[in-house]
This record gives sequence, structure tokens and C-alpha cells, in this order.
Amino acid sequence: MNPEIVPIHRKESLREDGMLFVRTECILDTMVKIPLLVASMIIVAAVMPIQSSFSSPRALDLIIYPDGSTHVSADIDVDPLVTDYELKLFGNTIDNFVVVGESGFLLTTDVIGDSALIETFGSSVITVEYDIHDLVSKQGRVWTFSLDAPSDFTLLLPKNSAIVGMTNLPINMEIINDQNQLTLSAGDTEIDYLFSTTALIPDSIDSTIPIPNFDYISYVIGGIAVVIVIGVIVIRAKQKIVKPIQVQDTTQTKQKTETIDAETIFKLKPDLREDDKEIVKFISNNGGQALESDLRKKFLQPRTTMWRAVKRLERNGVIEIEKKDLQNLVKLRKNMEEEE
Amino acid sequence: MKALALFTIFVLISGTVTVSSISDVYAQNDLNILLRIATQADKQIINQLEKTFDDSIPFDIQSLYDKGHTSVLTLENSLPDNIEQARENFLIAMKSFKQITKMMSESTTEQKLTTSNVSDRDLQSELNRLNKYFQKLKTISEKHNTGIKFSEIEELFTQAHQQINSNEIESAINSIHQLESLIHTIKKNISESSSHSSSDRIKEFASKQLNKIQKILEDPLIDSNMPELERANSLVREIETLISEDNVSDVKKKFGELNKLVKIIKNSIR
Repeated sequence: MNPEIVPIHRKESLREDGMLFVRTECILDTMVKIPLLVASMIIVAAVMPIQSSFSSPRALDLIIYPDGSTHVSADIDVDPLVTDYELKLFGNTIDNFVVVGESGFLLTTDVIGDSALIETFGSSVITVEYDIHDLVSKQGRVWTFSLDAPSDFTLLLPKNSAIVGMTNLPINMEIINDQNQLTLSAGDTEIDYLFSTTALIPDSIDSTIPIPNFDYISYVIGGIAVVIVIGVIVIRAKQKIVKPIQVQDTTQTKQKTETIDAETIFKLKPDLREDDKEIVKFISNNGGQALESDLRKKFLQPRTTMWRAVKRLERNGVIEIEKKDLQNLVKLRKNMEEEE
Repeated sequence: MKALALFTIFVLISGTVTVSSISDVYAQNDLNILLRIATQADKQIINQLEKTFDDSIPFDIQSLYDKGHTSVLTLENSLPDNIEQARENFLIAMKSFKQITKMMSESTTEQKLTTSNVSDRDLQSELNRLNKYFQKLKTISEKHNTGIKFSEIEELFTQAHQQINSNEIESAINSIHQLESLIHTIKKNISESSSHSSSDRIKEFASKQLNKIQKILEDPLIDSNMPELERANSLVREIETLISEDNVSDVKKKFGELNKLVKIIKNSIR
């Protein structure tokens, strides 16, 4: 009933009942070939990024000009043994069509309607570039880009343009020379944009948001660098004297004492609506001023509703509106009592 | 050895953790992009509404805007955890804003863009497009040492830019026409200049491919009575002759036919 545990390498033959026993402390050495394990894990780790890089799609880049014409640039894999390649174009109003083979040779082409016949013999990759006027239409002030893309693509929008409608999710967005560049998936895409002089680039924007084909080694190095920089900043910050903060506190206190309190405002303006009074209370408790966006967040009101409320308070002489970083800063008026 | 194994496992685990944390960063950035686009669109739409309707926005547009704006707020609140909800809200917001722009533009007729309408021409864009095309051709030309001079065309580009800046529309249009004509000639010249080296490249490629095809045709598994085999061998000889005669266009034609036959022959072996 108490079976004897015998190391396999000391035993000449199996027991009569055919049971095999091994010493558990030797299981790693006996059953697992460590060099083989290590080698296979390294191979698996090494092969993974290669597989992903092999599966990258052909390049398709589009640039929209301010007049709505679009520059198309595409790298296409072709069979070098086939003499011609018929390329379906994105429309039939084509200008400046040029095709280059992999060694930089200008290839002979024939554009008929919305397709082009390219003599590709001997080339395995071709670069096609052309301008097209079929992809963007304009209605009123709104420009609409539409495309049924055969692969993922990048789209560089014109300067001073702002997207106001979109039918699918972008993969990525970068800002290149103050222009929005979107990376979009294959398939039907429709984007509405218009030209504007304000709010083109959202607040607190990075110059670029890297991403899709991620080099994670550089990311890790970047991460380490960021940690070091943050560490240095923290150490330096600790060494600084706290005086400036005290100055700020006194300024804030001074500002608070100058601000008229909510109850006085309600006495002076008894006709204020209840919802407007809540806004006044909030601004008063916030040191006499608040951003309109903060008010919207606080009272969960749509932009137009809050905008109307703020305008109403301004008309009543309760607040004044100042522009701060393209946002509305709403301030309680200080000289209300004198006016009354 | 155990230490090595442990070290390797540690490295691999750290690698996996790092990669998965990068995916999280990607997702986070991805969502931030959605928020940026949606916020930007929201700002633009409200600006348009205020400009167009002041304080009397039509009810249907107002409710669409409220729907879109609420989706932007929900999108903001769903960050960074609820990816699916964020994406859904983005699409709802952008579709609502799109509908608003459509409704606001309904009174105006849709315009397909062409360059034919002179009054609507954006000469700066035209010139930029032309310049991009020219730069591409110049690169090709320089790569193949065609010896074509570009000084005249470059001067004309500078002149056209100046004319556009000083609002000399007619002169700018004339300069653009001249540029188009010159660029067309340049493209023709590049094709002619590089045709010799281009045909050399094609002949070299064709010779290499012929060697490969001949090896395929010598495969003992191929039925020697196959009519395609006889035709293929005959084509190989014809192409060799054409290469020696520098007849590139016929080489390409014959090669197309040969390629089809080789495919049939290869399939017969399988």
C-alpha cells in the first residue's frame, strides 16, 4: 500500500504492475529539454513581429486640395510576368497620371475612362500617382469626400478644414503641417468637412499621435526617457521654494473678496429663473468665474441650452463673458451693486 | 541552465506585458482621436448654427444637435474604459452632425467639382498639383540621367506663383496652360530618353525568365506529347530571336502567350 518511489535512471526494469515512478525533484531535468525549450521560445518571440510585417497592406495615400481635387498615390503589387495590368481608377476625371516601376522607370500607360492599362512587364511593384476630381463634392459650405477604398488608406485634409460628419471610425489621426491626416479602413467612407477660421485644431493637441505600425522597442526606450525626465522634474520641483504658491493664494483670496455673493445678486435681481440662479450659485462658489464648458458639464446641459442661459444672464447684467483660449469664460459682474 | 531558463521566461513574460500595455496605449490614443474629432465637429456645428439661426434654431435641427452633443459628452465620460460605448457614441455624434450639415445645405444645389468652371478655379491648388506632378517627373528624369533641363519650367512656376499672389488671374491662367504644355513635352522626352535603358531592363528580365521556363519545360514528368509543350518550346526560341533583334514590344506580346502555356503545363504535372 505504500509504493516505493524509485528514480527511473536507477531502475533496470519496470515494476511488475507496469507503474512508472520518478523523483519529482528531477522532473525538470528528466522530462524537459531546457535548451530546446529556450530555443523554441526565442524563435517564437522572434518570428511574431516578422509575421505581422509580412502581412502589411499595399500603400494608398490621398491628399485633398483646397479646391476639392484629390491627389492619389498608390503602391501596387503586380505579377512581373504579366505584360499589362489593368488598374481601376477612382473616377474618370483624371489629370497628371504617372506610373513608375520598381526601379524608377516611367511605365507606358493608357487611360480610358475610369481604368488605366499599364505595361508592367518585369515590375513586381508599381507606384501610381494621379489627380482626380470625382471624390469630393460641395453643397453649400459643406464639402463631402466619398470613396469605396480597396484597402486601408491615409487621407490628408486641406488646411483650415474641420470635419463635421463621418460615417465610419478612423484608425488614426495625425496633425501634419496644421493639416489633419486620417488613417481609414477599407470600404465605403464618407467625410463631411468645411473651412473655418476657428477651432480647427482641438485644444491641447500633440503635434502627432503615432501609432498604427508601432515600433514597440522605440516605445519602451521613449517610456524610459519619459520616466527619467519626470524623475528629474520631480526632484527639481522638490528643491523649489513654495513662495509663488503663497502669492497665488493671496491673489485668489483677493479675487474672492471682490466677488459679489449669490444671495446679494438674487436680492438685486429677484426675477432670475430658478435654473439661472443655480448657475449663479455655482459661479459664485467657484470664485466668481467659470468656463462655459464647465457649466455644461456641471448641469449636464446641451451647448445651445447653456449658451442661451449664459446669454440671458449677460442680458440681465449678472455676468460678463470673456474669451479665453477660444472658450467662453463666464464672470460674475463686480459693479452690480453700484449700478443698481 | 535553470538560471538561463528562468531568465528567458522572465524576459518573455516582460515582453508580453510590455506589448499588451502598448495595446492599451493604442486603444487609449485611438479613443482620444475619436474624442478630438467629435469635439472639433461639435464646435464647428454650434458655430454654424449660431451664425445661421442665431437664437432660433429649428426644432428638428436642435434635437439632432442635442443628440450629437449628448453623444460627445457620453463619449468623453466613457473614456478610457468603455471602448465599445465610446465608438458607438462617436458614430452617433458624427452621423447626427452629418445630418445637420445636410439639412443646412439642402437649399443649395450639389456641385460636382471640375476645373472647367473658370470662376470657381482655385489657381493655387491647380499650380500645387501641377508642381507635384512636375517634381515627380523631375525625380524620374534625374534618376535616369536624361539630361533634360528644367530651368525654364521652374522659372515659369515662380512667375505663376507671383501672378496668383498679385491677383493677375488671366496671366496666371496663361502661365498654367504653358506649364501644362511644357510638362507634357517633358514627360514625352523622359519616356524617349529612358526607353533605351528601359528596353535593356526588359530584355534582361525576359532572358532570366526564359532560363527558368526552359528548366520547367525540361521536367521529365511533363507529357512530351502535350501540344502546349511543343508550342511553348517554339515560343521560347522565337523570344530568344526577338531579344537578339531588340524587338521589345514583340517580346512582351510573346511572353504573355508563353506565360499562359507554362501555367497550363505546370497544372498538368500536379
